[in-house]
Amino acid sequence: MPEEELLKIEELSKHFGGVYAVRGVSLDVRKGGIWGLVGPNGSGKSTLFNTILGLYRPDGGCIYFNGRKINNLSSHQIYGLGIVNSFQVPRLFFQMSVMDNMLVAARGHQGDGLFNSLFLRGGWQNQERDLIDRALGLIELVELDKLVFAPAGELSGGQRKLLELARGLMAKPRLLLLDEPAAGINPVVGKKIFQKLQSLSKNGTTFFVVEHRLEILFNFASWVYVMDRGKMVTQGQPEKIIDDPAFYQAYLGAE
Amino acid sequence: MDLLLYGLDLLVFIGIFGILAISLNLEFGFSGLANFGKVAFFLVGAYTYALLSQIGLPFYLCLIAGALVAAIFGLLISLPALRLRADYLAIVVLAFGEILRLIVKSEDWLAGGDWGLSVSPAISITGVSPRVDLLVNIALVFSCLLICFVVAQLLSNSPYGRVIRAIREDEVAAEALGKNRAKYKAQIFMLGSAMAGLAGGLYAQYLQAIVPMLFLPIITFTIWIMVLVGGPANNWGVLVGAALVEIFERGANIAKDYIALPIDPSNLQYILFGVLILLVLFYRPQGLFKESPIKTRALEVVRHAREQVKGEGG
Repeated sequence: MPEEELLKIEELSKHFGGVYAVRGVSLDVRKGGIWGLVGPNGSGKSTLFNTILGLYRPDGGCIYFNGRKINNLSSHQIYGLGIVNSFQVPRLFFQMSVMDNMLVAARGHQGDGLFNSLFLRGGWQNQERDLIDRALGLIELVELDKLVFAPAGELSGGQRKLLELARGLMAKPRLLLLDEPAAGINPVVGKKIFQKLQSLSKNGTTFFVVEHRLEILFNFASWVYVMDRGKMVTQGQPEKIIDDPAFYQAYLGAE
Repeated sequence: MDLLLYGLDLLVFIGIFGILAISLNLEFGFSGLANFGKVAFFLVGAYTYALLSQIGLPFYLCLIAGALVAAIFGLLISLPALRLRADYLAIVVLAFGEILRLIVKSEDWLAGGDWGLSVSPAISITGVSPRVDLLVNIALVFSCLLICFVVAQLLSNSPYGRVIRAIREDEVAAEALGKNRAKYKAQIFMLGSAMAGLAGGLYAQYLQAIVPMLFLPIITFTIWIMVLVGGPANNWGVLVGAALVEIFERGANIAKDYIALPIDPSNLQYILFGVLILLVLFYRPQGLFKESPIKTRALEVVRHAREQVKGEGG
C-alpha cells in the first residue's frame, strides 16, 4: 500500500528503577485513519505515549516521526512537529476559561511572543479572530458551547475529557495521541467522538488511541496493537484481533 | 510639619512600590514564579543609579541603566533557578538578595559600605520649596509607573498573557502544548527585574542617599503583601494593595513620632502585617480583587455577542 509512514518506533524501552514499563516495543503508524493501542492496566500504554511525547526519555530504542529521529527533542519541540496529545487525566488550565484553554493550544499564534504581544497587536488580533471561530466550532463539536467562558475548573469529569480532546484538535495535529478519550463520558457522545475522529482522519490528521472501550474502538480503528506487561504481544486489523488467542491471553491472563 | 508634605511623600512611595507590586504581579500573579528576592533587583537598580549618577550621567540614563542591569541580573539568576522546583526557586532568590546586600555592605570601594552612597537629585532647582521638589518626583515616579502598568496590562491581555497563565496553571501541560516554559519564565523574570530596577533607581533618586539597611528582606515581603492583599493577576488590584500597604506603613512611621506606645511601633507594624496576611488568606484568598480575565478585541466581540443572545433568550 502507498500509505506514508508517520511514526516509527524501534525496540523502545523505558524502565523506572528495576521495573520495565516498556520492553523492546516496535510499531509503525502510517498516515491517516485511527490506530488503536490496547492492553490491560499497567501494560505500558501510557508510558509509551509519554515517551513519544518527550515527557520521558527512552532508555533504549528509537522514535522516528516523518523519518526524523525525535528521541532527544523536548516536548514543546515535538509539539511543534505536529505530535499532540490529550492526557488520560485531563490537565486543563483550571482557572482559565474554556475558550482560553482552546486558544493556548493553537499552533503558531503570532501573539505568543513577548515582542509581538506588545508591539504588533494589529497582527495577531486578526489571527485571534480566526482562531476563536475555529475554537467555537470544536467547542460545539464536544457540546460545551454553553460553557465557552466558564472556567475549566467548573466542568464535570466528562466535560473535562471532552475539552482536553477539543484542545488537542485545536492544534491541527498531524498525529494526535489520545489516552482513553471515551473513558468516563456518556456512550452516545463517545461514539460521536469516534465518528468525528474518523471524518477528521480523512483530512490529514492521524489518530493513535489508547482505549478500554473496545466495542467502540474496534468499530473505528483500522489497525490495533496489543500490549501486555510492557511488550507488544500482537497486532492486526480489529476483526482479526478479536479471534487472536494472544489478545485474550493479554486481557484474561490465561496460561 | 506640613501635612501636605506627608501626603506628597506618601504618593512618591505609593508610586515606587506600585511599580514593584506590578512587577511581582507579572512574576507571581500571572506566571506563578515565587520571587522571594524582589529586593535584590530593587537594590541593583538603586546602586546602579547611584554609581552612575556620581560620574555625572543624566538621570534618565541612570534609570534606564538601572533597569537594564537589574534585567541582566534577573536573567543570570533565572538560568539556574528556573530549573528548580517553585519552593527551591523561592529559597535561592531569597538568599541571592541577602548576598547582594552583604556585598554592597562590605565592599567599601564599590558602594560605600555601611555609609552607602549619596545621589544628586534628578532635576535640581535650587532654592525652591520642598513641595515643588516633591511634585517633580511624583511626576517622574508616576510616569514610570504608567509605563510599567501599560506594559503589564498589554501583556496580560494578549496571547502571551494566556501562555504565562497556562504555565502557572500546569507547566507540563503547557510544555506539551508547545510552549517553551524555560524561555517564557526567563523573559518574565527579566522583565520583572527590569521594573524592580527602575523602581530602585527612582528610590535612590528620591531619597538622595542609599544605604544597605534600606534593602532588608522585609522589603520583599512588603511587596508580597501588596500583591496578596490586592489580588494576584489583577494589575489594578495590586496597585490598590500597594497604596493600602504604603498608607499603613508610612502612616505608622509618622504616627510613631506623635503617639507613645508601650512597645516599639515598628515591631507592632510587623505584627499587624502578619495579622493582615492571615486575614486575607483565611477570608479572601483571592485578594481584594479577583483575577482579571484575558481581554482581546476578538474575545470581547464573542463575549458580547453571547451575552446579548443570553439576554434576549432569558
